[in-house]
Order: sequence, then C-alpha cells, then structure tokens
Amino acid sequence: MRSLVPITIDTTWVAVDMGTVREIGGPLTWIALPTASAVLPGVAAWRGRAIAVADLAAVLGAGERLTSPTGRFRTLYLQHGSSTLAVPVDAVREPLIVGDDEVRPARVRTEAFCTGEVDVEGHTTLVVDLSVLLDSHRPAVASAPH
Amino acid sequence: MVHVRDPRVQWSVRASSVVRIIPAAEWRASPALDLLSALAPTPRTGPRGGRVVVVRGAGGREVALIAAGAIDVGDVDAANVLALPEVLADSSPHVAAIITAHDASLSLLLELTALTSPVDTVVGEELCPSRS
Repeated sequence: MRSLVPITIDTTWVAVDMGTVREIGGPLTWIALPTASAVLPGVAAWRGRAIAVADLAAVLGAGERLTSPTGRFRTLYLQHGSSTLAVPVDAVREPLIVGDDEVRPARVRTEAFCTGEVDVEGHTTLVVDLSVLLDSHRPAVASAPH
Repeated sequence: MVHVRDPRVQWSVRASSVVRIIPAAEWRASPALDLLSALAPTPRTGPRGGRVVVVRGAGGREVALIAAGAIDVGDVDAANVLALPEVLADSSPHVAAIITAHDASLSLLLELTALTSPVDTVVGEELCPSRS
C-alpha cells in the first residue's frame, strides 16, 4: 500500500509520496536567485530558515513558470534528505491510499523521476519521486559575477 | 543594512561594507556590476543615470553595484537573516542569505567577498600577453 498526495500543475496531475509531505500551505512568497536554475529558481522563508523553491512547471513543461515574488494557490513543503523544499502547486487533492497493483509503470513520461501512474478522479496521474527529480536538476556551481 | 528596492528583486548589503553611494555617472574606475542581469534587463534609471553602491569586494577592492531602485538604510534583526539552503549555496556564491522583512517581503543579502571588479586581472595575466 502507498499513501499519495495528488496535486495539479495547470492540467497535469501528479502525485507525491505522503511520507515526504511536511506541510501543505497557502500561496508562497519567495525571492528569485539570479544564478539559480529553472527547476530551483529561488528561496522562501519557512519556520525560521531559508528553503529552496522547486518549480514543477519547469520540470514537467506544464503551465506557466513561477514568477517571483508570488507562487501558486497552494504550497507543498516536502522533505528531501536533510532539506525541505517548497513546491507551489495549483491545487492539492485529498490524499489517497493505493495498492501496489494500482500503480502502473509510467507510460505518459519515461523520465527517471516518474515512478508510475495511477488513476485519480479519472485523470492519469504521474507518481513522481522528487528526490530523483531534484538530484538530476541540482544546480551547477556558479562562478562569481565579474 | 543598506537596502536597494530594485524592481526585479530587492537586495541588501551590510552598511559596514559600503564605502559610498554616488551617482552612477561619477563612477569611472570600472564598469558597475548589475548582479540581477540574469533575471531581467537593468531597469531604466532616468535621465541622471541612477546611482551605484560602492562596496568592498574580494581583496578589499572597491566594486560598484548598480542600484536600480530606491535606497534606504535600516536595522535588521539577526533572526531575520536566513542563510541560503545548501542545495542552492554553491550555485549562488554572491548571495549569503535572505532577509525577511516585517511585511513578509524578502531581500537578498549579498556576499561581498565573492564579488570581483570587471577589471580585476587573473594572477599571471600580465606576464602572458597575447601575441596576436
């Protein structure tokens, strides 16, 4: 059995493992970093510390990219190793528990972060592993501006 | 702190590192830096050309930063200065932290020791002139 939290970015349905969700909040205020990547474009303040902001739209090619300083209607705060990530999304659906046999191999997308597909409210929903996704999009070390 | 309300992203530097703030036209030592140019083009600064914040950068050299916005000075509680997360620190060596304001707005605190002037030379550069 797996516990998943379905979310939407524009018309794309995605589900993340419930165990990675620290908090679900409202719209996010964040700030862009000049040398950051499209996937991790900036930073937000959360519980007295700065955390990276991840833009799933940039990863999935779905919907409009985040524009500082505002996020989307909802924000998922996800645990990734020792780090916490803020992931703005358009909507968060009711968490669901699915049997392992209900998770099909991913066919819509074949990237490593897509670990499968499930049907949620009649929508084909990608099950994503954000740790794989973020490791593959970790920004390169930048040189100092000059 | 000295805060610059750049319309792209607000940024700040520690007041102790600021040498002076002058009209951009008066700074001729080297091209002034626009640290936010990767986000968007430098905003128009009006007929007088705006101002630059001259700070001590790497090696104690003076570096001019284009201040495309209103400038103000204010105290910041240390609890409101939040270091960049590890996942982003390496890719943003010129940003030390973010500053949270009472109105929940955010500002980038610049890491000045990572700033070099555009005219800074690489060690040994003068010893190996181009033969072309």
